[in-house]
Amino acid sequence: MKYLPLIRLLVNRELTLRYKRSVIGIGWTLLNPMLTSFVLWVVFSFTFGGRLVEGQQFAPYLMAGILLNTFFNQGTWLASESISSNSEILTKIYVPPQVFTISAAISAFINFSISLLPLAIVALISGQSLSFSLPLVAIVGGCMTLLVAGIGLMLSTLFVRFDDARNIVGVLLMIALYITPVFYPISILSKQMQTLINLNPLTSYLEVFRWAFSNNATPTFANWAYMLATSMISFAIGAIIFKRSWPRTVAML
Amino acid sequence: MAVIEVSNVDLTYRVLLNRNGSLKELFRDAIKRRNRVIDYMALKDISFSVDKGEVVAILGRNGAGKSTLLKILAGVLPPTRGTRKVGGSIAPMIELGAGFHPEMTGAENVLFYSALMGRNLKTVNERTNAIGEWAGVSDHMSFPLRTFSSGMVARLAFSTATDEQADVLLVDEVLSVGDADFQEKSKKRMHELINSGAAVVLVSHDMSAVRELATRAIWLEHGHVKMIGKASDVVDAYEAN
Repeated sequence: MKYLPLIRLLVNRELTLRYKRSVIGIGWTLLNPMLTSFVLWVVFSFTFGGRLVEGQQFAPYLMAGILLNTFFNQGTWLASESISSNSEILTKIYVPPQVFTISAAISAFINFSISLLPLAIVALISGQSLSFSLPLVAIVGGCMTLLVAGIGLMLSTLFVRFDDARNIVGVLLMIALYITPVFYPISILSKQMQTLINLNPLTSYLEVFRWAFSNNATPTFANWAYMLATSMISFAIGAIIFKRSWPRTVAML
Repeated sequence: MAVIEVSNVDLTYRVLLNRNGSLKELFRDAIKRRNRVIDYMALKDISFSVDKGEVVAILGRNGAGKSTLLKILAGVLPPTRGTRKVGGSIAPMIELGAGFHPEMTGAENVLFYSALMGRNLKTVNERTNAIGEWAGVSDHMSFPLRTFSSGMVARLAFSTATDEQADVLLVDEVLSVGDADFQEKSKKRMHELINSGAAVVLVSHDMSAVRELATRAIWLEHGHVKMIGKASDVVDAYEAN
């Protein structure tokens, strides 16, 4: 783990650059999900708000979904771009290229962690209390980091080789948003649709996250298992694919 | 003792025949069964070794494969065939300043660049001031790099890259950085590093520098070794060509 300090520096750099460039700095990470959530809340609270299980609140339900989806989106982008955007370095100095992808995923995790603060505020305002299982959010975050790093490892070599891979990934990420119960309760869907939505790993992450944060969902054991399994499988497959395709990819940087 | 050992190394680039790489074209070519890539051999069957304290120069025209070979030695490009063994730490002096970012301060960039080279950050942290001072930019170290002139950036990069003694030095025409004063200074430091017992591989078009510094030389032509031997002999033959 000679490269641990480098990972720390890379994450640090990603975060400082992100916050240095904007006028209100870190405020964006706090404000952005709040504004998005507010808009969606205005639109959907009347249609979906009343359909939640007794005791659950729509505002934190929605915002938790948006935050986790942002984490997934941003992490996938950053991790997938990490190789092509660091080609300058990778063609000159030997650094294990995976370092950049993993750092990108960790950066997204930290952004996500920061944005938990406004979520806590929204949860408290809507009359919920943060649950004792709050520390378990870290497990969700860790799993999501692995998932995103794995996807990034798979896609980053594609991003170097094919210009239009980005467009396709953009569309897929949008589809992922709609087949995850971000702004609707699963219960309003038909049985078949529910099965489909539950096959989406992100659903499990989201259920566990909502429950762990403010007891705003009821994840099953299967959700936990699915989350843990998909994160590890994604990372393992990503690492293998990356290792295999790297020799050809680096020659194209 | 051989610090660098390269045996039977081939390197093949895949070159896309048509335009640029896109999935759309990949799909279309697959349907039409069109061959979309050709293999271009940049290096063919290269073998040599460099001992501790030896200075080996690589000569050749543009496109002969010199930089590719240097990248293989640096570990950046994995060889398609054959093996490359390098013992010890490498200082890759190939286009200095990789990873420098205009928005980060001078000191932060020094630290980051050093981390990329796998250095111990604790020692680098203590050295940062000295590195800045040697580069003549000590009063700028806490400002973003975009406020530096390009000469200052180059000097800082050189100063950082050469701050620690490495076992292997890979040099790609970096003997001249900055103004005349600094060139003298950097030349002196390069000579110090080279003479301090590291294994050095350098690529240069400056034949007088090669005669002066190198003990042995390798002449590359179209990706294979045309001649290898004592530096003066190879340089004579190369210049006669």
